[in-house]
Amino acid sequence: MPDNWGFVLAAYGLAAIVLGAYWRRLVRRGQS
Amino acid sequence: MSRLLGWLAAAGLVAGLVMGFGVAPREVTQGNVQRIMYLHVPSVWVAYLAFAVVFVASIAYLAKRAEAADRIACASAEVGVLFTGVTIASGSIWGKPTWGTWWTWDARLTSVAILFVMYLGYLLLRGMIEDRERAARYSAVLGIIAALDLPLIHFSVYWWRTLHQPPSIMKPGAATMPPMILAALLVNFVAFTLLYAYFVLARVRLLRREQEAMA
Repeated sequence: MPDNWGFVLAAYGLAAIVLGAYWRRLVRRGQS
Repeated sequence: MSRLLGWLAAAGLVAGLVMGFGVAPREVTQGNVQRIMYLHVPSVWVAYLAFAVVFVASIAYLAKRAEAADRIACASAEVGVLFTGVTIASGSIWGKPTWGTWWTWDARLTSVAILFVMYLGYLLLRGMIEDRERAARYSAVLGIIAALDLPLIHFSVYWWRTLHQPPSIMKPGAATMPPMILAALLVNFVAFTLLYAYFVLARVRLLRREQEAMA
């Protein structure tokens, strides 16, 4: 089976964006 | 405490990436796309954990009317929805190259989708009711009922013929995977659990501050 690195990148990239955005939101709201 | 937990979670996530991409071997059948497992399985573990916490905190709230229990339930539900979303998205992305489809109405996938919708409803319900005590009471009842989907999700792969594979680790007996793959998975389990704890702690603190400001 081909490695499909594009799918791996998409999964990790999406998770990083979602979790990173939530983390950032918590920190920002905590500071304000 | 919260800051330390945040740093520990960040370090754990870096260690998890190193283990998942640098140490764990390439899986023979699926190739490197199997590495999505190091994201997908810890995410669903955190979702299970988060909604189990909602269940316990909701019972505690209904029994003692403790606002702290309600704050924990609310924070845990929010984080649980987040990780369920990551689980569904990563599973869908993994499904396309391995199953040939982004989505199928398989018992496991459908029961997870129902869980996601139920806890989204939980968060909406909380937001819709202005009276804090009533919002806490109604959402505690929903939090308990929605958690009944958790065993259904877990056992769906045994009870129905599904495309989704049966569990490799969250089952009785020894794990059925090579030691280095298991080690990488366990490091990610710890990292995601730390991240969950950090998120819930930070969210509980924010909720307390908001409630104090409104009082």
